[in-house]
Amino acid sequence: MPTRSESPRGAAASFPGYEIDPRFFDEMFEADGNPRAACRQMTESLAGLAPEDLAKLQDSVYRRFLHEGITFTVLGGEDVTERIIPLDFVPRLMAGAEWDRIERGLKQRLAAINLFLRDIYHEGRSLRDGVVPLDLVFGCPKYRIEMRGIDVPHDVYVAVCGTDLVRTRNGFAVLEDNLQVPSGVSYMLGCRDAVKGAFPDLYRAHRVREVSDYSKRLYAILASLAPSTRTPRVAILTPGLYNSAFYEHALLAGEMGVDLVEGQDLVMRDAVLYARTTKGLERIDVLYRRLDDDFLDPVAFRPESVLGAAGLFHAYRAGSFVLANAPGTGVADDKAVYAYLPRIIRYFLDEEPILDNVETHLCREPEGLAHTLEHLEDLVVKEVGGSGGYGMLIGPHASSAERAEYADRIRANPSNFIAQPTLDLSRAPCYVEGRIEPRHVDLRPFVLQGRDGLDVVPGGLCRVALPRGSLVVNSSQGGGCKDLWVFDG
Amino acid sequence: MLARVAANFYWMGRYLERTKQTIRLVRYPLDRIVDRTGSEIAIAWEVVHRTLGQALPEAPGSVDEAEAFLLTDAYTLAGSLIEEASNPGSILSCWSTARENGRQVRSHLPLAVWTCLNQGYLWMRDSDLPTAWASGPAALVSEASDRLRHLSGVMDALMYRDDGWRFLCLGRFVERVQHQAAFLGAWVELGRRAHATAALPWADLLRICGAYEVYSRRYSMEVRQEQVLVFLVQDPDLPRSLRFSVHFIEEMLAGIDPAGARYPLAPPHRMALRIAAALEVESLDRTRGGDPVRFFHLVGNECRKLHDLTMSAYLDHTRYEGTEA
Repeated sequence: MPTRSESPRGAAASFPGYEIDPRFFDEMFEADGNPRAACRQMTESLAGLAPEDLAKLQDSVYRRFLHEGITFTVLGGEDVTERIIPLDFVPRLMAGAEWDRIERGLKQRLAAINLFLRDIYHEGRSLRDGVVPLDLVFGCPKYRIEMRGIDVPHDVYVAVCGTDLVRTRNGFAVLEDNLQVPSGVSYMLGCRDAVKGAFPDLYRAHRVREVSDYSKRLYAILASLAPSTRTPRVAILTPGLYNSAFYEHALLAGEMGVDLVEGQDLVMRDAVLYARTTKGLERIDVLYRRLDDDFLDPVAFRPESVLGAAGLFHAYRAGSFVLANAPGTGVADDKAVYAYLPRIIRYFLDEEPILDNVETHLCREPEGLAHTLEHLEDLVVKEVGGSGGYGMLIGPHASSAERAEYADRIRANPSNFIAQPTLDLSRAPCYVEGRIEPRHVDLRPFVLQGRDGLDVVPGGLCRVALPRGSLVVNSSQGGGCKDLWVFDG
Repeated sequence: MLARVAANFYWMGRYLERTKQTIRLVRYPLDRIVDRTGSEIAIAWEVVHRTLGQALPEAPGSVDEAEAFLLTDAYTLAGSLIEEASNPGSILSCWSTARENGRQVRSHLPLAVWTCLNQGYLWMRDSDLPTAWASGPAALVSEASDRLRHLSGVMDALMYRDDGWRFLCLGRFVERVQHQAAFLGAWVELGRRAHATAALPWADLLRICGAYEVYSRRYSMEVRQEQVLVFLVQDPDLPRSLRFSVHFIEEMLAGIDPAGARYPLAPPHRMALRIAAALEVESLDRTRGGDPVRFFHLVGNECRKLHDLTMSAYLDHTRYEGTEA
């Protein structure tokens, strides 16, 4: 297998320092250095820019984020830091036909997930039939026994899903689904605003599919789930100013024209949810919650939580309002349950999965454990309930001591770990240190499901691992973002 | 409107007004009276600190001490009030707190308002006082003032006139009345000192309040203490007069009050009407022949009560137990 980067040829040679590495799919260039068909215009445009023009473009998008306060919050000990997410001005390009297949795959996946969730909180047919091991589901900390038997309006457990996709040389695959409180859509919207302003002519010429109506689509989905027929009052529940995604909560509330509430704003009366307003209590019909199950209600879940509202779950069970996403959806984005998604799709939809999973070894199974321990230096090992890039081992980058210590943790509790091969994430051109260089990227599109069906916005949060050679794209770990242009032109 | 959101609008209004008033005061010793003696400038600093409720460090006792004091400490005094993050009353702290309130309600703010608020904060945070001081401290304060005026203009032009706007204005004017009462009280009280008569001319008081030209037109160029106080307290059309501000408060509360102008009025609304009546009628004798300092102290106290009533009626959402609207 070739491992050396090759000197740029073709149009890629116009970008000094741009190395095409045959190990990774390059989003902009073919292996011979010529631009992909969909990327010719962009390549020509970038190649025609002087270094100072590139710097100006990057500065203009950075300043836009800075002045509009498009930030995320990083908590470190007692310090709370508000940071601008690094934004790269070079958009990632994708032809409409390629996107259409992804969209079908995402819809198929979320439809199956919602059927699976309904099943495991009611009859449990898929568990009896051995599609997913019963002990895996019932033993999952994110399975909420309190949800058993509750009829969720229109059987929509997950109304908003963010699915992480990676592209390797073998095509797109799903890395994970985020089903509790998927975040990042505000950066998708912010990137689009900033980047289309940087390339107005190219944007027009490409006929890029719009993402700006995301909030309108989200509101329609949420309102469709309301329990009553009157115009519903929708609110977003935020943990507050110090949550890493507070900017996003405020942006969505503003665009949808709905209240952004905190737990302290809510009160329950006779199993009905109300917001405390200056004119008295006002009823809420749909609550789009942006905090994890654990923190929703100190009576039902974690008692020390001050972020939620006491009695919230009781009112929810009574059916007086809708929670989106429903409590207990996290069981389906558990990294061990994830491995069974292809089987879940076949079982509930009787279809072959359109999007593949990444090869996953379950340490809870003897052969998976043995394989993991044997090939630790080649694998990425994750905790089944982990997120944000925390608590995982990247075997090839870890020292032997770190691997040995991690192996002890795996042996002590095998069920808590899964392993995946180190992925050859595709690379896209980014502006780094004054020039265009390739960096690894992934993609998080957002899928919505309401009473009347599924909806996918043609775009997503494209995350970038900015340090050279890094595969970690999480913003909390130094990752940035870029715009994705899906176009038909 | 959510009570917590209304509270953030209210406090945002208060902190923006506090920033504005502090800038206005600090400009006086830094900018307007640079040609005066050290002792006169020192008294001006004392007015500033007393108005802001802050202790003046090592106040000078004599003229010589005052000269030395200013040479060594003017930088510290200005720095403390302009950009000292540990001083909750500094311009930077007030702006930063207003921005935090603004962040909480940014989904209710036009993007241009939020951006303006944020940019002002970032500029203030990143400004370098030592460099600014070297090139003239007044320039820094002047820039802060310009940015605040710009923000006020954008808010006036773009904000929807709903309860958010009313609570914002309510906060601004409650802060203005409290501040103005403290400022007038400090000016009159310190002006009574024998050596301070020349240091605190009444024309300067009018200039600080942006009212000198109007006063000249309304009365005469000869500035008289009694007329100045009546003008700054009772004029119904002067934006910085106490009467004007309290009428504005009453107007905002009438809009916020769920009962509107119907009876019984909400407690804060009744309180505002009471203060307005006192300013129109009762104040004349006290400001002319009585004790204006005591009067300003009373106005400040009444306004604090108004604040408390507003908090408990509308904004204190943790205690608030309302009924369904």
